[in-house]
Amino acid sequence: MPMSQNKSQFVAVASIAAELSAVMEVAKEISLAAANAKAIAFRAGEKARGFQPITDFINELAKETIELVNNINEHALKLYRLTVKEHRMSEACKRFEKVAVSASAAPYASSLTPSLQQARQRRTDCRRQFSRHVSELLTQLADVMHPARAARVIAANSRIEASQAGEYLQSLQAVAESVDNAAQIIHDKVHKCRSALSMINAVD
Amino acid sequence: MKMTKIYEGAYQWIMYGRDPYKPDNIIDTNQYVVRTENRCLLIDPGGIELFAPMLAAVLHHAPVDEITDLFASHQDPDIISSLGLWGQALPHAKLHAAGLWEGFLRHFGCESIQYVPIPDAGGVINLGSVELQIVPAHYLHSSANFNIYDPQAKIFFSGDIGAALEGPGQPVFVENFDAHVEKMRFFHQRWMPSNQAKRVWIDRVRSLDVEILAPQHGRMFKGDDVKRFLDWFEALQVGIAV
Repeated sequence: MPMSQNKSQFVAVASIAAELSAVMEVAKEISLAAANAKAIAFRAGEKARGFQPITDFINELAKETIELVNNINEHALKLYRLTVKEHRMSEACKRFEKVAVSASAAPYASSLTPSLQQARQRRTDCRRQFSRHVSELLTQLADVMHPARAARVIAANSRIEASQAGEYLQSLQAVAESVDNAAQIIHDKVHKCRSALSMINAVD
Repeated sequence: MKMTKIYEGAYQWIMYGRDPYKPDNIIDTNQYVVRTENRCLLIDPGGIELFAPMLAAVLHHAPVDEITDLFASHQDPDIISSLGLWGQALPHAKLHAAGLWEGFLRHFGCESIQYVPIPDAGGVINLGSVELQIVPAHYLHSSANFNIYDPQAKIFFSGDIGAALEGPGQPVFVENFDAHVEKMRFFHQRWMPSNQAKRVWIDRVRSLDVEILAPQHGRMFKGDDVKRFLDWFEALQVGIAV
């Protein structure tokens, strides 16, 4: 990874953190929608019997998403720390190389060599770790896509069940709509995260 | 970078400064090194921009593995923002700095260097063959601020006290004290907040035998100019911005 990559790497990692935080909010909204739907379905009684198990399923999906995003957040934080470390290592290498040139005539110039070699080694290690973490993060992000896709299917089923709920039709349809929207938002945001990460990997 | 030996005995004091390649928009700084037979202390080693020229200059006097100690008089970036880089170059070194600033200074990166917190009352830096006194200079200008006194060399490193703001390439010693005063006045009036702290510090320094007063910016004071500076500073009202 060239030095000029550092800046875009910082931006990419920060934008991933921002997108993930938005995903978390949306997942919480889904969880709330599930609780709301459950209350409506309870009131609707027999008319919304088909809807009741769906609400539990929506809630499970929201929980699963929140858990996955929590894990991914930890990973993203590691990625950020690695970016900072790699930046510091690159800076150290750059400055040590500068010293090696300007102090070439100094009596103790060669004493810097072990430090320079160590800094280069650490920089290489950082880059290797960074690439590994990016790959792992990409896999985890793909995992978040699954509950989001499932949520869309459930939303479609919810609409069908809602149509049989008489006077509760509108309320339950609204729930189905909000789950569908939320799932779409999660899908888009996760897709953005994956694109940002893929770009880092492509330049790497 | 210009290197000036200011004491030579069983060990040496060397002043580094007046770097001709320093970017114009950063303040000029003086760095000091105490070099013993097998150890080396860097006093206020400087900002990130100065790291490469400073290390290159020090390599004329000591190998990397003998640079064992760093001292930061306070937390400002021109003093010690190079800390993270020194940490990469000198993983076994110690940083002597105010305990009060530890959590702040670690923002510069301090993973491998050992942070030796200095208590408010000061302490010592033992370099084996020489022991230096860490003298409190709180609120001048930083709230946790220290100077260094070497009773053997009679050198007093005064940090920002005695500093002057002037153009590049100036001599390292004050040659005409009266002419120098105007280059120090605003710096001391604006950066130093407390007349009380100033009086306590002056009393403390007057009790010491000082041949050279060595600030972190500007020129050093030698012989009678040390006393002239203390008298001038005593009469100066500081903390003018309120």
